[in-house]
Amino acid sequence: MRNNLHKWILGGLAIILVAILPRVVGAYYTNFFLAFAIFSLYAVTLNLLLGYMGVLSFGHAMFFGIGAYAAALALTHIKGFPLLPVVLVGGLAGGLLALILSPLLVRVSGTAFAMLTLAFGQLIFIVALKYREVTGGEDGIGGYAIPPLNIPGVLSIDMTDKVNFYYFAVAVIVVCLFLLWFYTKTPFGSLVVGVRDNSMRLDYLGFNLPQTRAINLVVCGTFAGIAGSVHALLMKLVSTVGVLDINNSFAPIMMAYIGGVGSFFGPIIGSGVLHLLEDLVIRFTERIGLVNGAIFILVVLYAPMGLVGLFSAAKEKWFSKGKVS
Amino acid sequence: MSPTAVLYVAQAIHGLAYGMLLFLVASGLTMIFGMMGILNIAHASFAMLSAYFCYQVMLLTGNFWVALLIAPVVAGVFGVLTERFLLRTVHKQGHLAELLITVGIMMVILEVVKIGWGTESLVVKIPPSLSGLVNFAGVTYPIYRLFVIGSSIVILGIMALILFKTRLGKIVRAAVSDADMVNALGINTPVVFMLVFGIGIWLAGVAGAVAGPLLTVFPGMADQLGMDAFVVVVVGGFGSLLGAFIVALFLGELNAYGIQFIPRLAPVLMFAFMALVLAFKPMGLFGERE
Repeated sequence: MRNNLHKWILGGLAIILVAILPRVVGAYYTNFFLAFAIFSLYAVTLNLLLGYMGVLSFGHAMFFGIGAYAAALALTHIKGFPLLPVVLVGGLAGGLLALILSPLLVRVSGTAFAMLTLAFGQLIFIVALKYREVTGGEDGIGGYAIPPLNIPGVLSIDMTDKVNFYYFAVAVIVVCLFLLWFYTKTPFGSLVVGVRDNSMRLDYLGFNLPQTRAINLVVCGTFAGIAGSVHALLMKLVSTVGVLDINNSFAPIMMAYIGGVGSFFGPIIGSGVLHLLEDLVIRFTERIGLVNGAIFILVVLYAPMGLVGLFSAAKEKWFSKGKVS
Repeated sequence: MSPTAVLYVAQAIHGLAYGMLLFLVASGLTMIFGMMGILNIAHASFAMLSAYFCYQVMLLTGNFWVALLIAPVVAGVFGVLTERFLLRTVHKQGHLAELLITVGIMMVILEVVKIGWGTESLVVKIPPSLSGLVNFAGVTYPIYRLFVIGSSIVILGIMALILFKTRLGKIVRAAVSDADMVNALGINTPVVFMLVFGIGIWLAGVAGAVAGPLLTVFPGMADQLGMDAFVVVVVGGFGSLLGAFIVALFLGELNAYGIQFIPRLAPVLMFAFMALVLAFKPMGLFGERE
C-alpha cells in the first residue's frame, strides 16, 4: 500500500510539473519539453519492436517521417483541415506503411529484419528526396497554418498560441503513451513478448505468429506516425533530412538502449537523458554525435539493459535485504 | 565508332569502375557478415577514414603511391583493434549488440573526421603518370578509372587465390559456413575473426583511398559508399561473395546508365531493384541463411 501511495504522489507531482511548465520556463524550454515528449513516444514505439518483440527496426524514421509528411500534406493541400484528424492522418499513414511492409518483414528476424527495415527506410528517404513536386525535397514543406482545436458548438481553441499547443501536444502524447502501456498489458501484449522469448513454442500452441508480428508492427507504425504528425505540428516544417534521415532512425534506438530496452519507461528516460545531454553539450561543442556515439558505445558495452537496468541492479544490491522473495 | 556507341562504352567503363569499388567494400562486408553474423554499419566509415589518411599521407610525403599503401593498412589496424576490444567484448550479448556497437563507431568516426579535417571536400591529386586520357579504338577514357579497375582486379585476384588455394582460405570459408564447428575442430576462431575483420577493413580502406580522387574526400563519403555497398550485400545475399560480385558490377552499370538516361531517378533505381529482389527472395539472390 505504502509503495502505491508514493507512486501516486510522484505521479501527481509529475502532472503538476508538466501542467505549470509553460508558465514557469520560457518558450525555448517549452519546445524543448515537447521535443522530448515526441521523441519519447517515438522511442517507445521502437522499443515495442526491440524490447518486446526482439527485432531491431533500423529504418524507424520511415514511420515517423511518413506520419509527419501526411500531416503536413493534409494541412497544405486541404483547406480547413481540422486539428485532430491531422494527428489521426499521421497515425494512419504510419500504420498503412507498416501494413504494406509487414508481409515482408514478418518473415525475417534478427539481423535480417534490421537490414530490411534499413533498406526500406533508405528507399523511402531517397524517393522523398527526389520526388520534390510532392515532398519539396531537401527544402521540405513548410508554412502551413496550424488549425484551431475545434469542437463544433462547444469550443474553439487557438493553437497558434504556444501554451495552448503545448497542452494539446502533451495531451495527445500522454494518451498515446497510456494506450501503448495498456496495450503491453493486454493478453496480446504478452503474446508479443512470447514471440520474442520462444516463438517455436507459441507456434506449437497454435498461435498465428506472422499475424501477431504484423499486428505489433502496425501498432508501432501507427503510433510512430502520430509522433511524426505532432512533430510536424510543432516544427511547422517537414523536410526529408529532418524526419526521414537515417540519423532519425538511430535516435530512438539510442534512446531506447540508453534508457533500457527491458522496460516500458526506459526509452522515455533515454529520450530525456539524450535531450538534456544535447542541450548541455551544445554549449561547449558542435560535435554532439561524438559524445552521443561514445556514450552509446559505453552503454552497449557495459550496461546492456540501459539506465533502468543499472538502477534496478543497484536497487537489488542495496535495498533487497530482509525481503522474502 | 559512332559518337553514341562511344558514349555507351565510356559509360560502361564508368559503371565497371564504380562496381569494382563497390565490390571492394562489399566483399569485406559480406565476408564479415557470413562469418561473424555482424552487419558492420561502420564498414564504409573505415573506408572514408582510409581516404582521409590517404589525403594526410599525400600532404606529408607528396607521394600518392606511398599514401595508397599506408592508408588502408592503418585503417585495417584500426579495424583489428575495433574487433579485439569492442566487438569481442559484446559478442556474448548477441548480434544486435554487435550491430549497435558498429553504429556507435560510425558516429564517432564521422565526428572525428569532421574535427580532424573539417567538413569541406578535400581534393586528392592524382600523380601525373595516372592522370590524362588514354585513347583506344576511338574511345578516349581517363587513365585513372582504368587504374581503379585494374588494381581492383589484381587485389581481388590475389584475395581469391588466398581464399580458394591456401589452408588459411579453407579455414575462412569453413568458418563462414559454420564457425562453431571450426572452433570445435581446434582452430582458434577468434584470431581468424580478427584477421578477417582486419582484411575486410583493409579492402574497404583500399576502396576508400582509391575512390578519394574520384569522389573527393568529404564526410558524406561513408554514407554514399556505405549505402551502395549495403544494397550490394543485401541483394547479393548475406554472406555470398559471388552474389556480391555479380550485384556490385550490375549496380555499377545500373548507376552509370541510370545517371545517363534518367538522372533524377538513378538512386531510386538501385533501391527499387533491391525492394523488388527482397519481395521475392528475402535472403537475397545468392543467400541461403538468416
